Amino acid sequence: MEVEHVPGKNVGHAMLYALSTCPWCQKTKRLLNELGVEYDYIDVDYLDGEEKSKVMDEVKKWNPACSFPTLVLDDKKCIVGFKEDEIRKALKK
Amino acid sequence: MSGPGIAPEEVDRLYDKLKKEAEAGGYHLNPDAEMTKALVKGLLTNEKRYGYQACPCRLASGRKEEDLDIVCPCDYRDADVVEFDACY
Repeated sequence: MEVEHVPGKNVGHAMLYALSTCPWCQKTKRLLNELGVEYDYIDVDYLDGEEKSKVMDEVKKWNPACSFPTLVLDDKKCIVGFKEDEIRKALKK
Repeated sequence: MSGPGIAPEEVDRLYDKLKKEAEAGGYHLNPDAEMTKALVKGLLTNEKRYGYQACPCRLASGRKEEDLDIVCPCDYRDADVVEFDACY
């Protein structure tokens, strides 16, 4: 699976489900980079077949609308969309 | 931004076309041109990838008959515009 790892400050496990084509997802990645936090991301549009379905099942658990970006923090909290203030607050540790 | 082989001129051309169409239909493109051009690039990427302009912010199946609702301007645009003043 194409999980990309971005090194940075450890603030727990941040997993970003994104689309490579989506500017809101790009803004979210830029914000995470700016915050300098460690995170993983998957560009789901690069996946195919079974892998794509498997990842979409994961996204669906957190965000039944399956929209992007979906950011899952520590397997506990989910932020859907480029909600800058909410993301900044959640990652301030 | 993904989209290998998408020339800036292509983006500008589609941007101008969409702007005209949007204005004619009573809509406006997002005045943040950088953001809008990133979206347009995503549309062109999807057109090259799937053969149709699926919304860059929604996951396409790659089968047009299943994706008709998310071809730009998609079925969800008006609800988004009402709720968020922009589409997502």
